[in-house]
Amino acid sequence: MVLSRFWYVLLGLLFGASLFLLHIASSMYNRSGLRARAEGLSSDAQVVSWYLRDDARQRSAQLIPFALESDVGKYLQKANESEAKVPDDARGKLTQALTRVNAQIPKEAGFDSVFAVDQHGRVVAYIGYAQASGMEDFELGGYPVVADALHGYVRDDTLVLDRMYRIVARPVEYDLASMPAGAIVGARVIDDRFARELSQRTGAAVAFYANGQRSAAGSPAEFATANLDAIVGDLTDLEQDKDYHEKGRSSVREIGGMIAVQYTRLPGEAWQLGAGYAVARQPAVVSGPLGFFSHADDKDKKDAKLPLAILAAVVAAGIGILFSVLEHTRPLRVFKAEAERFAAGTVEQLTPSRFRGLFRKIAADVNDGVDKQLAKGGGPRRGPADFKEVLGDLPDQPMMSAFSLPGDALGEPSAPSGPSSPGSGGARSAPGRALPSPPGAKRPRPPAPGGGAASPPMPAAQLDTTMPEGGLSGWGTGAPDEADWQDVFRDFVATKQQCGESIEGFTYEKFAERLRKNRDSLVQRMGAKRVKFGVHVKDGKAALKANPIKE
Amino acid sequence: MAGVGYVAATMKAPLGPASSPLRRRSGRALGWLAALTFLVPASADAAAKLRGRVDGFRNLVNPVWAEARDPKQHGYSFREPVATVRAEYRRLFPHAPKEICVAAFAVGAQKAQPPVLVRVGGGRTTPVTLVVPPGTRLTFQNTDPFKHRLHGVGISTFPPADTARGATREWSVPAPGVFEIRDELAPSLRMWVIAEPNVAAIAYPSMKGDFALSVEEPGEYTLQAFFAGKKVGPALPVTVKDADLDLTKSPLKLADEKAAAAADKAEAEKDKPAAAEPAKPEAGK
Repeated sequence: MVLSRFWYVLLGLLFGASLFLLHIASSMYNRSGLRARAEGLSSDAQVVSWYLRDDARQRSAQLIPFALESDVGKYLQKANESEAKVPDDARGKLTQALTRVNAQIPKEAGFDSVFAVDQHGRVVAYIGYAQASGMEDFELGGYPVVADALHGYVRDDTLVLDRMYRIVARPVEYDLASMPAGAIVGARVIDDRFARELSQRTGAAVAFYANGQRSAAGSPAEFATANLDAIVGDLTDLEQDKDYHEKGRSSVREIGGMIAVQYTRLPGEAWQLGAGYAVARQPAVVSGPLGFFSHADDKDKKDAKLPLAILAAVVAAGIGILFSVLEHTRPLRVFKAEAERFAAGTVEQLTPSRFRGLFRKIAADVNDGVDKQLAKGGGPRRGPADFKEVLGDLPDQPMMSAFSLPGDALGEPSAPSGPSSPGSGGARSAPGRALPSPPGAKRPRPPAPGGGAASPPMPAAQLDTTMPEGGLSGWGTGAPDEADWQDVFRDFVATKQQCGESIEGFTYEKFAERLRKNRDSLVQRMGAKRVKFGVHVKDGKAALKANPIKE
Repeated sequence: MAGVGYVAATMKAPLGPASSPLRRRSGRALGWLAALTFLVPASADAAAKLRGRVDGFRNLVNPVWAEARDPKQHGYSFREPVATVRAEYRRLFPHAPKEICVAAFAVGAQKAQPPVLVRVGGGRTTPVTLVVPPGTRLTFQNTDPFKHRLHGVGISTFPPADTARGATREWSVPAPGVFEIRDELAPSLRMWVIAEPNVAAIAYPSMKGDFALSVEEPGEYTLQAFFAGKKVGPALPVTVKDADLDLTKSPLKLADEKAAAAADKAEAEKDKPAAAEPAKPEAGK
């Protein structure tokens, strides 16, 4: 089990290390993502700023055709001459001129509204601003951007009027020796169309806000524009941001864990009104080790070398299974097979050398246990019936001379026949388990019925006196189970001799008569067809056991 | 006492906006009201006209525009002069017909005048500077197609409140002093109201600087020009008799040309680094 356990420990360590690494990786990823997001947002904000400036410059160039249009300068000059009221023909001619020039400007570079303003600041003509329809006293001259244009400057501005506008203005010169005749003002509405166009060109998700409301938004396809609505709730706290207050650009702010935002004030009057734009990015934060799965896209999964991971898992599982089979399943099966052989009596004992590790110890313990039980006489028996259990307590002698020689009772006290109750165990032996030899003696072969060369130390003459003439060959009644009784008698006599018991007066006839009697009793009581007797040592004395056979 | 005349030399009375029929009617009503009760002297026959001229007003600088050109105000992302426009016109001098108020002060206090119409639109009020006796009621009319939120700076009786398109709002000048009116929705809009008990008449010069004042009573008067809430130029004492008075030969000199040129030079020096940064050749010029 060493390899399996080592493998388990190794797998555990690998799992723990993997978990630890995933936590570290998620932390590093989040930190890196936070930094990258902050840099990305700053970059987005800067790019949007550049775009707005460049867009304003480009559009200011589109005002030149208006300023150079002869009718524009001419009728602005005409309007200047009348401080009380703008001449109607000047309005008409200027409107025509504005429309004519505007038609020549590419749509993507054009304006939503164009205004022609005279020196008094009055809007003499305009296109694309229906809100001022019919307002003859509509003017723009107070705005710094228009005032600057009337005084010879080209510049941009962001005005928050009914809507938010990006404004560019430039002077219109009619007489170079005089003050500019007026100014031409181009306005672009900052609406969703403007924001979408900006987003497409910069790749940033951007939302414009003014008066505490989101006024326009645009974002790339992968960014849900609706998420930009979240900035509305954040605008109230925006003024608390020191960077935003002082530098016009806030630090990176996270809103509800949904998006990270950076706010930038818009240049122009909008700056003082707290209007600006916000660029946003969705935070790429993993919530934990498993968060990687939810954030991984198809490309990530494709690059993740899944076959290698599967191979590693298969190899690890294979090694674990192999170790388990080698160290658990296989020894267990060997032990099981050996135990089955032991149970079937094929082997007398478990062979510890065939096992390894704990199984070897188990086998040895089982063997030792069996030996000790047998040495104690064993427990309750399920196998062949105990002779004494069947026959009851039998006196060792003299009436039952089959079990002792008559002289024994005289020379020594009657030894207890040993426990005969089932609980104490009678003659018992494990199936197939060899009977133990009497202590200190090797089991001799029983004397041959013919008085042949026998090893028992008993004098042959004494034996002869107890034996019928002609040996034991003619003993028995000729019944089938009595054929073995002579062998049983010889074994019994030899065992008694080995145990130091006297065999004097112990004859086969008595022995056989007693066996027959007991056989008959057993046949009657247990319904056995025949009874086979065996010899064993019990409590240091020779004893018989009867095995009723029912087949 | 003569009525306070809010009349520019060549400027019509401040009529209300006349876009829609309703607004046109409203504007006409206010115009007539102003014309009948305020702009025309109470006894026109007895009034004497003072014709005069202001000089050097192009040496003044509109404080709102001057502030807006400061790069620190973040008022623009680029601002470049057009080379063909002469330098003298690049100075952000005020639009005299709206911003310079010439007032005639009598020796004694004058009573409050009928309501004065102040138009709010185009990023400023018309007029920008107004000199009236205390207690005069001002009617602010929004002439823009969007709302304004006017308020008096530090004036408890003139808190911020919305004035919708075409709507009016009234406020009475509470006491002598200088009051500044601003708009929370339009930072460039700033108006100054100077309340002087002795003001007898006011006028606004034309683009050329000419103005005409009508005073009802003969007597000693002092002419003083105001700009952005402050006196500009020296006061000019005049004695009005029954006949009109021509003062054009002794114009009110509002600002010194040399001082203005020096200021322009300083401003140009200050603008140089800022202008160098966004330098981009201007197309077509």
